[in-house]
Amino acid sequence: MAQWFEACGVDDVELEGVIRFDNGDRTFAVYRSPDGDFYCTDGLCSHEAVHLADGFVMDYEIECPKHSGAFDYRTGAAKRLPPCVNLRTYPVRVEQGRVLIEVA
Amino acid sequence: MDDLKFGKRNKRGDFTPNAPVETAPLFVFPPRPLAFLKWLPHYFLPYNLLFAVLTLVWWRWVLPDVETMKTFEWAWILRLFIVNCVAVFLFFGAFELRLYVLRAQGTRFKYNGKWPAEQRSKAFFFERQNVDNMMRVFGAGLPIWTAIEVVILHAFATGAAPWLSFAQNPWWLGLLALIVPVIHETHFFLLHRAIHWGPLYRWVHSVHHNSVNPSPWSSLSMHPVEQLGYLGVAFWHLVIPSNPILALYQLHFAGFGAIPGHVGFDKVELTEDMAVDSHAYIHYLHHKYFEVNYGDGLIPFDKWFGTWHDGSPAGDVRMNARYEKRKARVNAVKAA
Repeated sequence: MAQWFEACGVDDVELEGVIRFDNGDRTFAVYRSPDGDFYCTDGLCSHEAVHLADGFVMDYEIECPKHSGAFDYRTGAAKRLPPCVNLRTYPVRVEQGRVLIEVA
Repeated sequence: MDDLKFGKRNKRGDFTPNAPVETAPLFVFPPRPLAFLKWLPHYFLPYNLLFAVLTLVWWRWVLPDVETMKTFEWAWILRLFIVNCVAVFLFFGAFELRLYVLRAQGTRFKYNGKWPAEQRSKAFFFERQNVDNMMRVFGAGLPIWTAIEVVILHAFATGAAPWLSFAQNPWWLGLLALIVPVIHETHFFLLHRAIHWGPLYRWVHSVHHNSVNPSPWSSLSMHPVEQLGYLGVAFWHLVIPSNPILALYQLHFAGFGAIPGHVGFDKVELTEDMAVDSHAYIHYLHHKYFEVNYGDGLIPFDKWFGTWHDGSPAGDVRMNARYEKRKARVNAVKAA
C-alpha cells in the first residue's frame, strides 16, 4: 500500500539540485528543477549501483557520477548510455514547506 | 587565449569545439587529392615523427646487441623495463604536469569542466582516478609492454621471425613503416569493437571507461587483457615479414601514442597566442558517449559501420536514434 513520507524541507534542495532520501531499505533521489518543482526517482543508477544524489543536475537531467549516463528525472527516462533501463519515478507533493513522496 | 572563439562552454563548464571533427581524407571515394595533400603533414607531425625518433633512440641506445636478445636474461629485460617506465613517466607526466597539476591553461579548451583529482569515485582504487590510473599503467601496462617487446626482439634475434634488412628490402620496409599508423588503426578498431561486446565490456573494457573524464594517465589505464590486446598490435610484425625496428615502432606508436586521445583538451596552448590541436575530440566523444567512434578517424571505419559522431548536433541526432532503438529493446525485455 502506498504511503506518503516526508523526504526533506523545500529549502534543503537547491534549484537544479538533488539530495538523497533513504526510507527503510530503499533509497531515492529528490530533485528540484530550475522552475522550483520537485521530483523523485529511484536513488541508484540503473546501470550500476551508484547513487544519483552524487551526480550533477543540469536543466531536467541528472548525470550519474560514475559513467555520466543521464536520465530525465521528470519521467525517469534514460537519456544517454551506458544506462538503457529507465528509472522509476514517484509522486511528490509539497505541504507547508515540506517535500513528501509517495512510496508504494 | 580565448577558447570561446573556437567553441562554447555549457553550464557545467564543458568545452565543445565549434567545428565538427573529420576523419582523415584517406580511403574516401571519390578521392580528395587537395584535402589529402593538406592533411599529409599531420600524418607525420608531431606524434608519428616523434615515435619514430624514439624508436631509433631505443634501437641505438637502449636495446642490447642481438646476441644478448637471444636469451631471456633479467639484466637486459629489467633495464628495458626501467627505461620504458621512465620514458612513459616523463612523456605522460609532462602533459599531466602542465595541464592537470600546474593547470597552465586552466579549463580553457578542456572538454570536461571538472578536474579528475577533485572527483572521488568508488570506481577507482582508493577512490582516486590518478592513483588508480597510474597503478594500472605502471603495475600492469608497463610490464606487459616490456614483455611484448622482449618476446618480439627474442623472436627476431633467434630467427623465429623473418628479419628483413632495410638494405635488401627498402621498398617493402619503407611502405611498412609508412603504414604503421594504418595497421594500428585497423587493429585498434577491431579490438575495441570486440571488447564493447557485453560480457567482454563488463569484464575487460569497463576498467578503461571508468575514466569518463580522461586525463593523460588514463591513456593506458586498462584491464591487463586489454593492455595485452592493445599493445599486442606489435605482434603483427611477427606475422608480416618485417624488421624489429618496425615492430618496435609499432609498439611505441601504440604505447606512447595512446596519449593524444586522452589529453582532455581540444588545444594545448604553447604561448598566449599559439596553440596546437590535440586531435583528442574523436576519442573523447567515445569516452563520453560509449557507443560512438570506436576508431580514431584515420580510416573511416565508424562511418562505414554507422557509429561515427563528429560532435555536431546532427551527430547527436544519429546517436540518439540508435540509442532510442536499443533502449526500447532493453526496456521491452525488462517489462516482459
